[in-house]
Amino acid sequence: MIFREVEDRDLIAKARRGHVEAYNVLVSRWEKRIFNYLLRLVRQREDALDLSQDVFLKAYQNLKKLDDPAKFPAWLFRIAHNEAFSLLRKNRPEGEMTVEPRMAEASGGLFPIEMKLAVRGALDRLSDDQREAVLLKVYQGFKFEEMAEILACPVSTVKSRLYTALDLLKQTLAPVKMGGAE
Amino acid sequence: MSCSIDDLKAYVVGEVSRSERGVVEDHVRGCQSCREELDRLNLTRSALTSLEDEEIPQRIAFVSDRVFEPRWWQTIWHSGPVMGFASAALLAGAVLIHGFARPAVVDAAKIERRVEAQVSTRLDAAVVKAVSDAQAKQSADFAQVLKATELERQADLANFQQATEYYEKQLHRFEVASNEGPAQ
Repeated sequence: MIFREVEDRDLIAKARRGHVEAYNVLVSRWEKRIFNYLLRLVRQREDALDLSQDVFLKAYQNLKKLDDPAKFPAWLFRIAHNEAFSLLRKNRPEGEMTVEPRMAEASGGLFPIEMKLAVRGALDRLSDDQREAVLLKVYQGFKFEEMAEILACPVSTVKSRLYTALDLLKQTLAPVKMGGAE
Repeated sequence: MSCSIDDLKAYVVGEVSRSERGVVEDHVRGCQSCREELDRLNLTRSALTSLEDEEIPQRIAFVSDRVFEPRWWQTIWHSGPVMGFASAALLAGAVLIHGFARPAVVDAAKIERRVEAQVSTRLDAAVVKAVSDAQAKQSADFAQVLKATELERQADLANFQQATEYYEKQLHRFEVASNEGPAQ
């Protein structure tokens, strides 16, 4: 992990000097994470791919503004967050309510594909803010402080969004999982 | 520790320290409701992580654009290792040139002799010049005194001649008077 960080730092330094190939290596390391984060946030593959390209283009154009190369991941996800919410705001009028979470029905054993569909459904029923908090913590492994930087909000807000999301997901996923195990 | 659902959530998402982790685990062992809550949270997390990342359908890559590429001198200028090597080479060259340009061993005795010779030469020249100046000044003074003495001698000579002429005239006058007087 340490070596990886050093290598990323070297690549960032080279990319800052105009080495496009170095930046392409950096992109190849992060594109899958960024794409999946955006895909689960905007839920449209084409949009997620377009946004991913925009994110990496903006990151390249603003690479010299990155003060600390060690903060590249949080900085990159901050750009992705801005791009995603710009699209979400454009596609959805302000004030539109998200679908209320519903209690999962206790059912028999779930196949993996069914579990994935259930998880996707549960994530989709979260608000954008709540879903993003889950994506950054559970799927991307950021600390609360890093999430606060990415989302430009206090740590208390990050916790509130995540904990509320976990409550909602738990209502949907835990009974299903427990039912499936029985 | 009292029952705290937020502490359990922080525990599940890995945002507790090692000591806090022990506190939560101790509490859960003795609290049925918190243990059940923790089980549900863990199941939720397991369900979430069962969702695997998808492969990106199209790789993202950027093509080098020559307009935005740095010029060769910018590449060298911004390259730390290259600049470092160039600086080291320049320094090494300067040291070598300096080493070849100056004598390897300093002969102090030779330098001392050379300095002494130069000082002696300059001293001799200064003495000669001082003697010459003194002689010239002495000659000038002598000539001036000689000239003054000559002028004074000529003036005395003129006075003597003038006096001689006066006495000769007086003598002639007495002779004429003696020849003419007793005849009356």
